[in-house]
Amino acid sequence: MKITGNSGEHSRASTLPKSFLVLGLMGILSVSSVQASTGIKPKKNNLKSEFQHAVTIKGNVTDEKNLPLPGASVRVKNSKQVVSTDKNGDFQLVSPEDQPVLIFTYLGYKTKEVSYTGQPLSVRLEPDQSALDEVVVVGYGTQKKSDVLGAVASFNAKNVEEKPITRVEQALIGQMAGVQVKQQTGMVGAALSIQVRGAGSITAGNEPLYVLDGFPLDVASQSAAGGISGSPLDNLNPNDIESVQVLKDAAAGAIYGSRAANGVVIITTKRGVAGKSRISFNANSGVSEVSRKLDVLSAEEWVAQATELANASWVASGTGRTASQTNAERAAILSLPAGTINTTYMTDPRWAQEGHPGLDYVDWQDAVYRKALYQNYEMSATGGSENVHYFISGNYLNQNGTLIKSNYKNYGLRANIEANASKKLKFGINLAPSYSINNAPPAEGKDNQLMKIAQMVPVVESSVGLNTGAYGNSTYTWSSPRLISPYAFLETAINSVKTSRLLTSVYADYQIVTGLSLKSTVNYDNADRNTSQYTSDQATVGAAESLFTNPGLLSTGAYIVTKKQNFLNENTLNYTKTIARDHKISAIAGVSYNIVHTEGVRLETAGGFANDIIKTLSNAIANPAGVTTTGTSTASNNTLFSYYSRLQYAFKDRYLLSGTIRRDASSKFGSENRWGTFPSVSAGWKVSEESFLKDVKVISDLKLRASWGKSGNNNIGDYNAIATLVNSNYVFGGNTPTTATGQVVSGLANKALKWETSGTYDLGLDLSLFANRINFTFDAYHKKNSDLLLNLPVLSASGFSTSLQNIGAVVNKGLEFSLNTVNVKTADFQWSMNANIAFNKNTVTDLGPTHADIEIASAYSGSNAPYLLREGLPAFSYYITKTNGILTATDIADPAVAKLANQTVGDAKYLDANGDGKITAADRVIGGQPTPKYTWGWTNTFKYKDFDLGVQVYGQHGGSILSYFGRAIDFSGSTTANVLGVWRDHWTAANPDANAPRGKLGATYTYPNVTSDWIYSTDFLRIQNITLGYNLKKLFKTPAIASARIYVSLENYFSHDKYKGGANPEAQNTNVSGDTSYGISGDYGSMPLSKTASIGINFGF
Amino acid sequence: MNTKLYLLFFTLVAVFSSCEKQLEQVPESSLATDNFYTNNNDFLQAVNGAYSQLSAYPSQALWLGEMRSDNINATSDGNRDWDGVNNFTPNITTVGFISTAWKSNFNGIYNVNNVLAALETKGGVIGNEATVTRYTAECRFLRGFYYFQLLRLFGEVPILSTVKSAQELNSIPRSPVADVYAFIEADLTYAAANLPASFSGTDVGRATSSAAKGILGLVYLTKSGPDYGVKGPGLNSNEYAKAAALFDQIITGSPFSFGASYSSIFSYTNENNSEVVFDVQFASSLNGAGFPSHLAPVAFWTSQGISNTYGNGYGASTFPVTKSLVTSYTASTGGGTDVRYPFNVATSYTVSPFIKKYIDLTKKGTTGKDWPINFIVLRYTDVLMMKAECILHGAGGTQADADAIVNRVRARAGIGAIANVTLETLMAERQREFLGEGLRWNDLVREGFALTQMNAWRLADGITKINPVVADYVIYPVPAAELQTTPGLYTQNPGYN
Repeated sequence: MKITGNSGEHSRASTLPKSFLVLGLMGILSVSSVQASTGIKPKKNNLKSEFQHAVTIKGNVTDEKNLPLPGASVRVKNSKQVVSTDKNGDFQLVSPEDQPVLIFTYLGYKTKEVSYTGQPLSVRLEPDQSALDEVVVVGYGTQKKSDVLGAVASFNAKNVEEKPITRVEQALIGQMAGVQVKQQTGMVGAALSIQVRGAGSITAGNEPLYVLDGFPLDVASQSAAGGISGSPLDNLNPNDIESVQVLKDAAAGAIYGSRAANGVVIITTKRGVAGKSRISFNANSGVSEVSRKLDVLSAEEWVAQATELANASWVASGTGRTASQTNAERAAILSLPAGTINTTYMTDPRWAQEGHPGLDYVDWQDAVYRKALYQNYEMSATGGSENVHYFISGNYLNQNGTLIKSNYKNYGLRANIEANASKKLKFGINLAPSYSINNAPPAEGKDNQLMKIAQMVPVVESSVGLNTGAYGNSTYTWSSPRLISPYAFLETAINSVKTSRLLTSVYADYQIVTGLSLKSTVNYDNADRNTSQYTSDQATVGAAESLFTNPGLLSTGAYIVTKKQNFLNENTLNYTKTIARDHKISAIAGVSYNIVHTEGVRLETAGGFANDIIKTLSNAIANPAGVTTTGTSTASNNTLFSYYSRLQYAFKDRYLLSGTIRRDASSKFGSENRWGTFPSVSAGWKVSEESFLKDVKVISDLKLRASWGKSGNNNIGDYNAIATLVNSNYVFGGNTPTTATGQVVSGLANKALKWETSGTYDLGLDLSLFANRINFTFDAYHKKNSDLLLNLPVLSASGFSTSLQNIGAVVNKGLEFSLNTVNVKTADFQWSMNANIAFNKNTVTDLGPTHADIEIASAYSGSNAPYLLREGLPAFSYYITKTNGILTATDIADPAVAKLANQTVGDAKYLDANGDGKITAADRVIGGQPTPKYTWGWTNTFKYKDFDLGVQVYGQHGGSILSYFGRAIDFSGSTTANVLGVWRDHWTAANPDANAPRGKLGATYTYPNVTSDWIYSTDFLRIQNITLGYNLKKLFKTPAIASARIYVSLENYFSHDKYKGGANPEAQNTNVSGDTSYGISGDYGSMPLSKTASIGINFGF
Repeated sequence: MNTKLYLLFFTLVAVFSSCEKQLEQVPESSLATDNFYTNNNDFLQAVNGAYSQLSAYPSQALWLGEMRSDNINATSDGNRDWDGVNNFTPNITTVGFISTAWKSNFNGIYNVNNVLAALETKGGVIGNEATVTRYTAECRFLRGFYYFQLLRLFGEVPILSTVKSAQELNSIPRSPVADVYAFIEADLTYAAANLPASFSGTDVGRATSSAAKGILGLVYLTKSGPDYGVKGPGLNSNEYAKAAALFDQIITGSPFSFGASYSSIFSYTNENNSEVVFDVQFASSLNGAGFPSHLAPVAFWTSQGISNTYGNGYGASTFPVTKSLVTSYTASTGGGTDVRYPFNVATSYTVSPFIKKYIDLTKKGTTGKDWPINFIVLRYTDVLMMKAECILHGAGGTQADADAIVNRVRARAGIGAIANVTLETLMAERQREFLGEGLRWNDLVREGFALTQMNAWRLADGITKINPVVADYVIYPVPAAELQTTPGLYTQNPGYN
């Protein structure tokens, strides 16, 4: 503990700002009195009683370990009386009042106010985690933050308790430089994606490794569609979290070498501390709604557009046809039977009638979104004796989703208990059972309900309303018969995921000799997930006919069970020694064994259900082939065996050196290349400890860091190195067919597969000024992922089109800045701030010996591949035809202007990039990159007397999204489907605006596969959270209540983005390449993020 | 203290040496190739697996055969993959149907080569030389078939008689068409000599010697066609006599006969009837067929109250049979009514009279890809008519023999006889007889009509969106991905970009 400021006998209470500092970004920070250490000289208070009712107060101040805290300042509120505690932590002062409030402050500890009631005071101060000397958890141990040599971002859990969040990842949004938390969906209960320092891997995943209380859970794996199912953070109660550290560079992460290439997120849960039991209770409740809606044409706008289109098509379809002809006249001209409707040429006459009788105009988004309530209760108890400490908590969360029928419930318990069996032997157990139910009706993705709400014509028959097309109703005539009510679908569909999880760690720590201890842990994580799925034929296209005769026949159902068991045993030896006062050595060496077993069962209907009442498979009926249900079960294992060690050396606490080495063997690789070695070295120089800086009081800490290290990635399938066979059946037998079980090789096995490795260089600087009032951290890094586990295209003559190989490299270079300041600190008012910004440049540097581009086509947009892997460009750059305005009459007349067949005036003009006079695949240009160039976060916290206010803002810039959703609902109009709002402002003959965002309605040419119209900037700025709290402590005179706070919070209430082609610029819900070798997560209809207003209380007893 | 330490140390060593073994994981839910081929059953399953890529054949026949030919004039609702196939555009090198056809046939060849290598090295475990020979013959039949399909679609292709690694393939170029033919002929000749004459019971549908002979005959016939000046399937080799000899063996031998009724040949309950020389086998839920749904517009299914999952996923696109073909069915009947027209074509669906040959709504499976109907690759009538084709090319037989064959077919169709059959009238009869069977485009190419007939049809039907058909379009382009993967190894077929 380094103490740089301390109140002596004089009043130097930090009530008045004494110096000012100008920082360009933030404006003027008011910095209060900063004192150089004058040494600790506790003195008895000599002041004679100056006041009539003066009383002498005695007491004692201790730290969190109940050890005396000398030098703490004790002040009488609203007075200038100040004393310091002596070497035993004792103090004595004379107060002007007989029942004053005393304020206890000590640098690095939280300020505490205590009312004096006549009894001698015994005050315990708790460490203030924002102080520099907080201890951070690094791999296999803890370190003082000032000694850390790697790039480590920390996050204090205090911020969690005060906010209504439901997942751990949410707490990290915008908090740490270089840690990008992506909110891919607004569905409740969904995991978030975290990316540390850019995407380094092309096909082997970019999610970090999660380590919970020393237990490396697993790398979250993101599916090609973008969702994360079975996240290691599922079911965890954010309120149990004490701290989160993200190890960003290899020097910090290399001790987890094997799977640290994408960063390591270390989560520590709360521990018990000896002392009186403390019980805390948190409750919050709120209401959520969608933060934004997609801009599509309103019913009135659509009716106007459809009328315009139908009349224009009619007039253009033959001579003598005029817009004023009625439907009957048009039918007669077309020689259609009377009453027949041709939706291309005819409109619904009711559109033009006052109040559109018989028709309801609907907003499909309003129909499926709702205001949703949530409530969250959490209770915990902590305490213990000298030998047994405990932390026990329970939580209950019931969160309705903003999508109808969606809901997430979580029941969690945690018990962290630690016992000292003897002076040398310590045992502990962490036990966290949990159970969650997530009702998430299928809504996101291609052709799913959230796409339908944008496509559906916003007009329905009043007689059926929102149930158009469902429950046997026919669809509205001017609506595609393939689009039936998404509302009815969501009302009837079931997708219920029930997860039981048991997380257990048992450990023993034995001190063999002084300085040498052995810790052995056994960890077990078991997650059982049961999924019930059901779609009703009441809301199935084409089921109307059979609904009357065989309701249930076209309903489908499935029941899926998955089990994942993760077992880990770790044994580490820990040695620390100080030699000759100046040489501090600490070393660890360990060995670990990990096995992950997964198994699954899937049962589904083959012939539908007997009726629409019972929705379990017991009600399934046989298909024409006599099969009632089909099912399968699978199992797989992977193992990891590792040795690791770390040596840290500090000379005079000034020069720091650290080296780690880890060797891992993974069963996922062939025996020859199974072992990977991941070394790292780092060095640090605490410049502030040098004599020439020691006296510069402004600088409380200055450290320079440099590190290099390697870490690995094995996030591929369990058996990719082994040639396996799959069933590829055939039938023989003619009229009486029999399955001919067939076995074929499933893919090109690569026995030489090895670890994908990332090598990171990191240069860092940590600077603290004015007694840690300003903490600044800077890092520059160069991270190169090489030997990428890449699905390299191979000649199909090999039997397959890709082969998983260790080829290629991606470099991420970046700069990270973070700043923590206490801008104002007075007795009544405190303003602190956390700002961070991270720049990252992603470049593919090597694509194998041929250096050939890899073009990734999409199954959903024809042949011209819109995604490109090319050396020198960011991974998955967009490769598209550029829209370049609108064709004018002059353009049409000019043969030099490249056009597509059938293009006329008012159609989009495309850039003829190669100037050959034609628009072809060769005219594709680079149209953007998926990853942002920089991300930033800015959090301000204000405290005024009993009020506190926190405002969290974050954003990103420089990336873009190629939206397949935008593409699907962005076309030149239809009389049977709705389109994006951008079509409000299209080119018309009456107003031939060459700068209109879209061309004329009813275009008849075939557009190039993917154009720049569907690339949208993903820049956004979001006020993620505003929380206003009030300390209620004063209202409760009873000492039983130690703390009480009430708060109101607005989550994600204000945001701005430029994504017009979807509801969420970070949306990921569909593999838009449609190719499993190169999964590209994109948006094909997503749930908007929610905004939540909530109110909560915290009580401590 | 030290004893404790040592004890601990040795315990750890013991524990972790057993962990080393745990690193050798073998898949729990799938077989590893290393522990396969241990008995006859393994080999049988591997041979069955080699058949499985046949399931991809009907799609190739319809999307790249019927779609390319003058049987269909498709209308697209936007920007569909098959547009360029139907319209003869040069930029179809990335079209999924084309790249999938290349991939799936090579995957079939890869599967065959795996089994052949195993039969050679481990075939002894079967313990029966005749079975080894039969398996070898089945595999070589399949390899010949897959290669023939590649040759007809793409012309030159690399010849792979064994499994090669991706690296080795980087130096194996496309072989001249003549060499590919030689390779195919060797495989099919071996198969014809070593396959059983027939299979029964649960083996019905396996390749027989007649199937091998029939395909080999078609190989000779195709090879004898004109070359159009491109490296396509025609080599002007004049091997009509060889082909005719093989066809004769099928015509005269059992168990094949001329089907009495046209519709019963394609009946769901009359599979592997005496017309069928070789077919691709499908069964609902086990190995369902998708091809009956392929060319029917989505609106047809919804109009029948059937889920649009029975459709082909091409929205509002339609695949009408051409005006010329409708005329051909209804005009040159010689007095009768062609029963093939209402059977093959949805005549009442006037918006788009599509090919409904394989659709029996009472037999639909659980989805549009689950029809329990086989796809006939080669049938007796085809063999007969190819015999007539040989005759007209001067390979023995008389004009009367050729006329008799054609009139036998016409009689079954319910239309009057004709005399002095020419190649043109023979091909026109084949067009009506084999509509929906994926033969038309190959027929046109084989008889040198690919350019003349297609262009004449475009004019006759007044079609403007289909580009003029030139010689380069006799074959398809090499998929772009293959050219990109190993630049410079393959060169693109002329006329494509």
